[in-house]
Amino acid sequence: MIEVVISAAVLASMYGLVAIGISFTWASIGMLNLAQGFIFTAGGYAAWVFAEFAISAGISGPLLSVGVLTFGMLGSAVAGLAVGSIAFLPLQDRDNFRTRSLIATLAISLIGTQVWLIFFGPQNKPLPPVFGEGRIEFGNAGISYGQLGTIIVASVMLGLVILWMRSSRRGLQMRAMMMNPLGAAVVGVSVRTTGMRVLAISGALTGLSSVLLAQIFFVSPTSGVQPLTVGLIISLAGGLGSIPGTVIAAGLVGLAEAVTARYLQQSLVPFVLFGIVVLILIFRPRGLGGLLEDVRE
Amino acid sequence: MTTPILEIQGLSSGYGPVRVLHDLNLTINPGERVGLVGLNGHGKTTLLSTIVGLTGWQDGSILFKGEEIGGRRTHGVGRKTPSIVRRGIALAPQGDAIFPGLSVRENLDSGAYSGVTWRSRKRRRDSVLEVFPPLTKLLGQTAGTLSGGERRMVSVGRALMSDATLYLVDEPSLGLAPKISIGLVAALCEIDIGEGAMIIAEQNLPLLEGRVERVLGMHAGELKLDVGEALGDIPPSAAVSL
Repeated sequence: MIEVVISAAVLASMYGLVAIGISFTWASIGMLNLAQGFIFTAGGYAAWVFAEFAISAGISGPLLSVGVLTFGMLGSAVAGLAVGSIAFLPLQDRDNFRTRSLIATLAISLIGTQVWLIFFGPQNKPLPPVFGEGRIEFGNAGISYGQLGTIIVASVMLGLVILWMRSSRRGLQMRAMMMNPLGAAVVGVSVRTTGMRVLAISGALTGLSSVLLAQIFFVSPTSGVQPLTVGLIISLAGGLGSIPGTVIAAGLVGLAEAVTARYLQQSLVPFVLFGIVVLILIFRPRGLGGLLEDVRE
Repeated sequence: MTTPILEIQGLSSGYGPVRVLHDLNLTINPGERVGLVGLNGHGKTTLLSTIVGLTGWQDGSILFKGEEIGGRRTHGVGRKTPSIVRRGIALAPQGDAIFPGLSVRENLDSGAYSGVTWRSRKRRRDSVLEVFPPLTKLLGQTAGTLSGGERRMVSVGRALMSDATLYLVDEPSLGLAPKISIGLVAALCEIDIGEGAMIIAEQNLPLLEGRVERVLGMHAGELKLDVGEALGDIPPSAAVSL
């Protein structure tokens, strides 16, 4: 029972970070970023490349861990900016930006997979364990350092981003832009500059998730597909644009996945997840917390 | 000779095939508070929008403190707006464009967008509250739950938070009860603009009379100095909803 909860929390932390990125991008610039999976993988490969160099240079311990996390986030932030300069900046003030950018990000996602295949080959790349190896046992249950670290790092990072959004000038500008682009323009907020900032931050959160997920799985050209799918499910269920809604939805989806995998069958997980999101969208069309959508229109 | 705050020459603008402004010329000097009156659909909002680059297209020269912020533009609605605004133009747009999910305090603070104004946002907020005392009690409230008059105060207050030299206020009385709009326009006209300038677009001429330095009439996208002509055939008493 406790193990299911822990497993749910770990899944929620990892997928929640991706979902926040998707949700955040949608709410601020109106772009449903299907290239989030590509951005995810970029962080994984950046962390892997760093780890290869660092290990051959004899770096280990905390320095290696911090480096892997940092490079994962940097790699994805850069990928986010790259996606923005292809799918956002050139299309931003054209008609039908939402549809056009959707198609553009889908294209980036598909081409991106091939690019990774060309550069890194189809083999799975492992990342070094960032949080060390070991377990904390309590009673008949236990939590590994990896799981504990994942939950803590994800929560802290998310907390920092939310705090920054709530208290800083740039954060206020981003929230303002999510609610009224015209209002934001007349108070000097450039949609283009702020949009790129949003993409970089969303990317960094996704990159963190990528490193965390690689603690369990590997980095591979297609390793971004699953996080993208689950991230989309969570951000839809949470109501695109709502951070509290997304956090709740991440918990719910994590729990559903953990319970299904434990008591039913791993292969049934997608059915359950999509079932949940369909039910939520039928009974709460704006998702769990999405009040922002009608504000944008 | 001092540089005018705003010097518009040969300005035309519109949306797609529709041309709203026709070869318009306008000069506004430091310290001037100018009323812009005219009926609905004659281009008051378009003129204010064109100054900050928010119309579909535009052509003609707009010098702000001697620097060109206009020019010919066929697309890119609002792309230059943030950089124009940052030069020191504050707009309280029609429809208010407040941020419904943010608190009144955050809405006001968003007007102090530059680093310098942001650090002095508390003092600026206090001076806005002096102009609009009813907002004091509402600072923590979500702006989306406010009444029309309160929203207008937030929108105008947000414009006042900035370090602007030119304030553009679009139809401050629109949609408000007469009593509230009189108070709001009076408050606007009492604000010390120093060496800056303010343009108030307004349908309701008596609200402005005697409170502003100059009243310009707008008719069919052109400026008329004769205010009666701008209000068309309707006698001023009927055009005024008081």
